[in-house]
This record gives sequence, structure tokens and C-alpha cells, in this order.
Amino acid sequence: MINKNLIIYLSVLIFGLAAPFIFPAFKVQLSILCVLIILAITWNIQGGEMGYNSFGNILFYGLGMYLCASVQVGMFFPLAEWTESGGEKTFVHTPAQFFQGFGVGLAVAAIVPTIVAGLIGYSILGLRGHYFAICTLGLGVAAGEISGGIEIIGAGQGFTTPPFPNIGSLEARGEFFYFCSFVSLILTFIVVKSIYSTRFKLVLNAIRDNEDKAEAMGIQTMKYKIIGWMISAFFCGLAGGIMGGLVGYIDSTDVAFDGREMGVFMVLMAILGGKGTLWGPVIGATIFHIFKEGFWTFFLGWQYVALGVLIVVIVIYFPEGIMGWLREKYPERFGEVVDEADRKAQVELK
Amino acid sequence: MKIKNFIITFVSAIALILSTSSISFAKVVGDKIILGAAVSLTGKYSSNGVHTQNGYNMAVDRINSMGGIKVGGKTYKFDIIYYDDESNPKRAAQLAERLISQDGVEFMLGPYSSGLTKAMAPVTEKYGVPMVEANGASRSLFTKGYKYLFAVLAPANLYLDVAIRTAVELNGGKGVKIAQAFEQDAFSQDVRLGILDAAKETGSEIIIDDKLPKELNDMAATLAKVKATKPDVLVVSGHTKGALTAIRQIAEMKVDVPMLAMTHCDAAKLSKQHGKNSQYALCASQWHKTLTYKDKWFKDGMTYDADFTKMFGYAPPYQAAESSAALLVFKDAFERANSFDQKKVRDALAATDMQTFYGNIKFAPGGQNVSKPMVLFQVICDNSGKCENKVVAPLKWASAKLIHPIPKWSER
Repeated sequence: MINKNLIIYLSVLIFGLAAPFIFPAFKVQLSILCVLIILAITWNIQGGEMGYNSFGNILFYGLGMYLCASVQVGMFFPLAEWTESGGEKTFVHTPAQFFQGFGVGLAVAAIVPTIVAGLIGYSILGLRGHYFAICTLGLGVAAGEISGGIEIIGAGQGFTTPPFPNIGSLEARGEFFYFCSFVSLILTFIVVKSIYSTRFKLVLNAIRDNEDKAEAMGIQTMKYKIIGWMISAFFCGLAGGIMGGLVGYIDSTDVAFDGREMGVFMVLMAILGGKGTLWGPVIGATIFHIFKEGFWTFFLGWQYVALGVLIVVIVIYFPEGIMGWLREKYPERFGEVVDEADRKAQVELK
Repeated sequence: MKIKNFIITFVSAIALILSTSSISFAKVVGDKIILGAAVSLTGKYSSNGVHTQNGYNMAVDRINSMGGIKVGGKTYKFDIIYYDDESNPKRAAQLAERLISQDGVEFMLGPYSSGLTKAMAPVTEKYGVPMVEANGASRSLFTKGYKYLFAVLAPANLYLDVAIRTAVELNGGKGVKIAQAFEQDAFSQDVRLGILDAAKETGSEIIIDDKLPKELNDMAATLAKVKATKPDVLVVSGHTKGALTAIRQIAEMKVDVPMLAMTHCDAAKLSKQHGKNSQYALCASQWHKTLTYKDKWFKDGMTYDADFTKMFGYAPPYQAAESSAALLVFKDAFERANSFDQKKVRDALAATDMQTFYGNIKFAPGGQNVSKPMVLFQVICDNSGKCENKVVAPLKWASAKLIHPIPKWSER
């Protein structure tokens, strides 16, 4: 069994490493796919395992995006002059400055949202159910409006991130951002997988199933909820930082705090794949991305209608997601022992 | 653990889909020069995105039917690959990448709006793909040192500069009190910077400086302040929705202000949608059909207006006219470069110096068009209630006299 798992992971790894060379024209889409998977996996920690439907994870993503770009510029040049629209000065990063700045930027983009998650989590994770969902929805909207008014990060003008330095090959930029997002994805997966194999996941599930009972059992649910959110924030911030560099232009409500698209997509992807599973968000995000790109190519002008139909179909036919549907259909493949006689007896009882 | 098999199958299926779907277009296929464009067909800029697309299509039709483009002794025709950027900068940047690296496009047309152009420019610049854009006016586009970006329009900070100066002039050279409200996007914020500069130079005072949200539907709070403070000029900019919202609510709230200066009046079809309520609004425009510029393809503004109306069923706003002009610039550059080499075409574009029905086009080193002034028109209605946009400034083209101050609502 271990061997079989190893083969799977190795083949995914090899595929991931080779992908930008096999499909050189699709590097950007592949990088975005990695970012989407990260967002889906991290959303699943709240929405799937913990039962807290968060629309606020976009806050950490946007925060990471702005922080990474600001640090990357601010380390070497005056940030205000960079973002001021009428500025006649043009600053150019040397390759060393670009990569150094990006590295430090990513670190900041991951760490600061983690701290923010800890702070706001302390105050709002006490809310439950719909109240929590609405509250987090507000967080993302508020962040978008506030950042759209801060002059030093470009306000309504937007923030053009440093252009990729000219280091020979035209392909370098795509490869660089692809590997950044792929490595982050691997990192996210490993961390999430390893915490899911500990007591931590059981606590999260206990919170989902009955929070009061979990508390009565002596579990400090608040602590776990906050830690769970901080883990999500760390990787969302990282993903945001990479996405900022990849897109090259940050707009407060359309790119960074894009609750209308990214914020909803991360929920959809996790539900499509099957929330509360490890592989669900991965599969969900991949299928979602492929469909989305396909719709955008073949249903020009109608893509959102097609996407809407897809969502309706998911909700009606796969309410438990693809993994949930598979589990229902082939329970034995998920290591569940089914006693036929027992199952029949249960059906008859009803 | 059969689920793992499923995953393997799944991954290989994706691989298969990806490898079969990379159909590549080349920049020049047979006798076609293929240009790439991402325009907003959906989302908040969709109406202007369609104006842009119609402008492009009209010019492609016209150039192709009038003999096409002659390069190296052979005749070529234009063709455009369109994508929908959904009025979203993130999508626009992705599509630029996609047009270039997947569809193999080597020459691009711009999207609608400054924000989206800002998102696409770094990508086209990286690949050295010449982009002629007609709808990104933000000044910051032209200070980044882009070499492959050319804009046929005047930068955004000049849009309403004239309005402020006119107001000051009419006030006997003394500074005026300005109330302004701008959408939080790259273009409108740049118009704002232009007003700030003009206010500083003329000694005018800005008494209200509001920011309006994107997806603009309500600006009652700003108008309430305007009613209370009585400024001399009210400036509003927020694309099509901004213009419509402002006129609707000014009429509803009966806000009296001596001068109302806006952008996007013609794109919003103000005079048609709001009739007499839109009367006296002063609008910045890149182009107007009565201007006397001429070219071989569209003849002049009036003919363009008539042809466009025949083809698409509505009068062309300046967004359509400037988009058509972008194709004329490309044609001219291809013929002068006499080659499809991107560098040579880029150099030919940089050396452009021509007149089109839309105006003179000559690019500054930053890529903006410096030889075409902005015009201001005023919505003027006759007694039967029919409203028209009449040019009032600059004086050279003025077909009507500016009506100032705007009569009070109680006297209309």
C-alpha cells in the first residue's frame, strides 16, 4: 500500500515538474491552477473540516498580494514614488534586486496574514454558522474598499508590480512563477496532509460535528479554530504574493480582494471536489479550472452562463462533491468495510 | 485504494486534453494578418467594450474591402481574434499571455479602460509585441518606459482640464470652487489628477473631493453635499455608469450647479437615455463627428458617423472612433515597415505621423498621442425635446456657444 501511494505522489510530482516543459504555452494557466488548488485546500480546512464557511480567506490572499509587491518595491525604491501615477521616474529592478525582493516579499506575504488571522480570529471565530459567514464576507469587501483608498499602494490607480528582469530567455518569467506556485502547492499539501494525520483533524471534525460537545469534552475549541485559520492564512498569503507577481497589476477589488471571483471560486472548487477530504479540493480545483478555461474559449460571451449551469449541476447531482459521490458509489475503495447483510437490514428497518 | 487509480487516470486525461488543445494560429496565415484583442464583453465595462469591438470590426471591414494592406508586394487582410476579459485586469493579463503564447499572435489591439491596459502592457512589453491601444488614457501608462505601447488618444489628465480653465475664464480669471467625485479606477483617478493640477494653476479651491465605488449606482451623498455647499463646478467621472447615475440623481434631487463637467456622456448615450434632464452637461471627448479631420478610408467624421450608424444601429461614441483609428495606424505602420518583423513594425509605429478622420496621430516617446487635442461638447436640447451634443471648445471647432451658467431647475 505504501508503495502504491509513493508511486502516485511521485508521478504527480514528476508531472508537475515536467508540465511547463511539456506544455510550454500553458505555463500561466498551470501556475494559476496551482494557486487555485492552494486556495481550495486551505479553504477546506475551515469550510470542510471545521464546518465554518469562511468567505474571508480572500482577505489573506489580497493582503499577501499587496504586501509582497510593496516589499519588493519598498526594499529598493521609495514606494510612494513608484505608485504615484504621474511620476515621471521609472525605476528598474536589477535581477538580484528582483529576486531578493520577491523572496523577502513572499515571506512577509505569508507571515503578516498569519498574524492578522490570529488577531481577527480571536474576535470573530466566536461567531457560528451564518453569522460567521456573513461576518467574513464583510471582511473581504471592507478590505477591498479600504485598500482602494490608500495612496501609497496606488489606491484606485492600482499597483503595477515590478516587471520581470530580462535574464535571457522569454520563458524564464513563466517558469519562475510556475515553480514558485508549484513548490508552494507541494508545501501546502504536505503541511495539510501531515496535520490531517494528527489529532488536530479530529478536533476540527469534532468542532464541525458538535462544537458544544467538543468543548464539554475539554477541548479548547477556540485555540484550534484560530490555529486552523492561521494555517490557511499563511498559505493564502503566499498564494496571493505569487499571483500578484504573475498578474503584474494589482487592483484593489478586481485582483487582490476579489471576493466576487476568487473568494467564491475557492468555495466552489472545494465543494465540487468534495469538502472534508484531502484530495477533493485538488480534484475540484483542477476540474473547475479546465471547465472554466474551456468555457472562456468556446462560449465567448456566455461563459458565466455556462459556469452557472455547471454550479447548478454540481449542487444537484454532486451535493457531496466528486469525492463524496465516489465514496458513496465505491465505499470499499475508501477502505470502508461494508457488510451487505447489515446494509440490507438497515434499509428494511426504515 | 482504487481511488489512486482514478487520480492517475484523471491526471493523464488532463495531459491529453492540454496536449490536443494547443492549436496555434500564426501571426500571418495566407493573406491574413491576425491581430489579438481582449475586450470587455461582460462585466462593468461591457457597453464600452462593445463600442471598442464595433470600432475595430468596422475598420477591419473597411480596410479589407478597400484593398487591404500591402506588404512586400503582396496584399493582406486584417483578422482579429477576440477574447472576453470580463472587465477584470487579472483576466486581461492572462488573455494577453494566452493570445501571445498559445495563439501565436504577434500584434495586439488594446482592451477597453486604463486599468486593463495597465494589466496587459507588461505582458506585451515582455514579448516585444507591438500594441496599439485606443482606450487606455491613464497618464501612468506612458511614464513606465514601455517601448511597444502606442495610444491613439490623449492622456486622461487632459480630459477636463479645459472645463476648469473655461470656468475660471468665465469667472473673470478668478479661481472657482470645485466639487468633484471620481470612481476608484485608474482612468477616473487620472482625470482627478488633471483637475488637481488645473485647480492649482488657476488658484481654484476644491471643496468636495469624493471617491465613488466601482459598480456605481448611487452618489446621493455627494450631491447632498453639493446642494449644501454650492460649488461653481461639479466634476463627475466614472465611465458610462458614472455619467448615467450623475444625470439621473441630479435631476431627481434638483441639484443646481452652474457648470457640470463629465466624461463618457456619448458612450452612455446620455441625450437619448435622459433627454432634457441631461441638458447643459459638459462632456470631455476624444472625438466628435463635426471635427474637420479627413482620411481616405472613412472620409470624415460625418461619414463615419453615418456609416457606423448604418452598420450597428447607433451613433458612434468616441470610443468606437478611436478604436477604428487604431487599425488605420496599424495598416499605415505595416506598409511603411514593409515587413512583419515586430521590431521594424514597432519602429514604424513610433514614426507614425498621419491624419485620420478621428484626428492627427503622432506618438510621443512615452507612446501617447500628442498631436490631438481634447474637445468639450455640451448637451443642448431644442424646444421639441430633441437633444444633441454640440462642440463648445476649443473655439476652432465650436458649433455652439457654451451655455453658462446652467439655468436653475426651478426656471427650466
